[in-house]
Amino acid sequence: MALIQVEHLSKTYKKGDNKIYALRNINFDIQEGEYVSIVGKSGSGKSTLLNLLGGMDTSAEGGVYYNGKNLLTMSEKELSYHRKFTVGMIFQSFNLIPSRTAIDNVKLPLIFSNYPIMLRETRACELLYNMGLYNRALHYPSELSGGEAQRVAIARALANKPKVILADEPTGNLDTATSAEIIGLLKMFNEKHKITIIMVTHDKETAHKVSHKTILLSDGEIIKITSNRNQ
Amino acid sequence: MKISDIILIAADNLKRNVFRTVLTAFGVAVGIGSLSSMISLGKGVSTNISKQMESNDLFTGLTMSSRSIDFDGSSNKTILSDEKKETVPLTDSILNEIRSWEEVATAFAEQIKPATIKLEGKSAVTNIKAIPLEMSSFYPFNKINPGSFYSSESEPSVILSKIVLDKMGITSSLDSLIGQNIEIITRVFDLDKIDLITSKKKQLPVKNDTTILKIKGIVQTSSFSAGIFNDGIFLPPLTCSFIPSIDLRNVYDIINGEQGKYGKYNTVHVRVKDFSMLKTVKLRIEDKGFSVFSIGDKLEDFEKIFFMLDTVLAVIGSIALIISVFGIVNTLIMAIYERRKEIGIMKSLGATARQIKFIFYFEAAIIGFVGGVFGVLCGKLVSQVSGNIANSQLGNFIDSNIEYFAFSWEIVFFSILFSVAVSILASIYPADKASKIDPLNALRRE
Repeated sequence: MALIQVEHLSKTYKKGDNKIYALRNINFDIQEGEYVSIVGKSGSGKSTLLNLLGGMDTSAEGGVYYNGKNLLTMSEKELSYHRKFTVGMIFQSFNLIPSRTAIDNVKLPLIFSNYPIMLRETRACELLYNMGLYNRALHYPSELSGGEAQRVAIARALANKPKVILADEPTGNLDTATSAEIIGLLKMFNEKHKITIIMVTHDKETAHKVSHKTILLSDGEIIKITSNRNQ
Repeated sequence: MKISDIILIAADNLKRNVFRTVLTAFGVAVGIGSLSSMISLGKGVSTNISKQMESNDLFTGLTMSSRSIDFDGSSNKTILSDEKKETVPLTDSILNEIRSWEEVATAFAEQIKPATIKLEGKSAVTNIKAIPLEMSSFYPFNKINPGSFYSSESEPSVILSKIVLDKMGITSSLDSLIGQNIEIITRVFDLDKIDLITSKKKQLPVKNDTTILKIKGIVQTSSFSAGIFNDGIFLPPLTCSFIPSIDLRNVYDIINGEQGKYGKYNTVHVRVKDFSMLKTVKLRIEDKGFSVFSIGDKLEDFEKIFFMLDTVLAVIGSIALIISVFGIVNTLIMAIYERRKEIGIMKSLGATARQIKFIFYFEAAIIGFVGGVFGVLCGKLVSQVSGNIANSQLGNFIDSNIEYFAFSWEIVFFSILFSVAVSILASIYPADKASKIDPLNALRRE
């Protein structure tokens, strides 16, 4: 059974009397451990789809099933649980809390998940160490470079050991070299730890290079799903 | 999410805007300061009055009389009347019976005679009052200074009230007065003048009679002592009975032609051993057909008045606190707007609506706690200063060193608790608003 099943997913906005489709009849499956890229032009519905997969948005028709459970019908509490333990989110603008140091940002999901207090520091240090940021632990986001900030965000997303990482244009604000570094990190976690990665990007080339599956969206509809089993 | 985590996050959030937090807490401090000082004033006033009454044995005293004297004024009669109710005479046998009751410490008939007293060439009109030996252990006679209480029922000595000395304008030291002679001038019937009714000169058939007694002690009463002990000079009962005087009650009896109808005495003062026995003794006396008055009996009325006083003062004190509540609401709503994205991030990381709410509750609770602690300190300071000023200003009129503000630990504890509770209540709306922030919308706003 697939880890994620998206069935007949549609999302509409109302503009006057008109119904505008942000997503129209989306169907696909994602297996555990897959690296999936969602590509498309701006406004094609990539981020909308990712937010629905992350349980950040539930106002849609159809179904987004994680292990058979539909996110769209979950209670607020169940959605919080989903965001806490099942998925970890990475954003284009990093979304670190500016008033907290790198290590405190990483510890935040551990606080919400009731992770033992005594072990939080160790866990956060371990994650930052794995990201090569051990010496930047006590720095505030404003003192970090874009690449460092995104690595802190990845560390934070991995804190509660989620099965899935949802990355919304994770390299959108980064230079080519740093982008490659971030993509490499995600690929490493996918391969080494079998974490399912779902990445939204407009960079088709990179998507094809790293992904097992690429979903091409246009105007809210799936144009093509490309599998690359060699990855 | 553990409470310690919530406290840390809340404290961290408040630290980020120290100035605003301090201002908000200051508002709460002003509110709590005024509330706690007002409550302590109410408590102080009521405690002081009760304490003074208790230490002056006011709660253990009863005054009984023939039923036809209405002490309460409930029947709108405050003078002797013989209508309807059967009058039971107050006699020696009744007095002795009451004295024999286990709960009764002492009982004595009131003997009051009007007199003019002369001392060191100065005079004053006052009353002479017979006080039995047993009263030496009750206020104010247990606090005679200088001098002492008389040692026998027939000792030819008196206890002087300081109030009378002040009235006479005597300024010499109180110690020097002990042992001095005092002249007591009373008016008695002069039978030789009775036939003057037919004569041309209109003169009352009375003349002066002078008794000389020694001053044994001086008693200084507080403003809360029973009226009978406040003023006048006090004598042993036998000594008092030897001083001739026109008894006004006898005149009333003569006019009515019903001599002795009300018995030998008008009024009897009873002291019970303990306040708890007051009601029982009162009921027993009433059962015998007498009218009884006691301040202790009015305790419930006092308590009602004190409760009203406390409530009114608490309401006045709460006004500042209510205003400070708006400060808390404002601070938290501002925080929501400023931290909208942060709340969105927290929610995207799995924070529940309840956890977000609790962060805001604790932010308010910390403001309330800090404001409460400082408020109580301010309240204590203000009440201390006000109490000192009041004592220095009113010292001439009221007993000095009265603690006008009773700043108890209960007030401290409940003020801080109240401050925290009110602050949390004030945070309900902002916390609810924060918990409903849509993470998607919050993160979209850059």
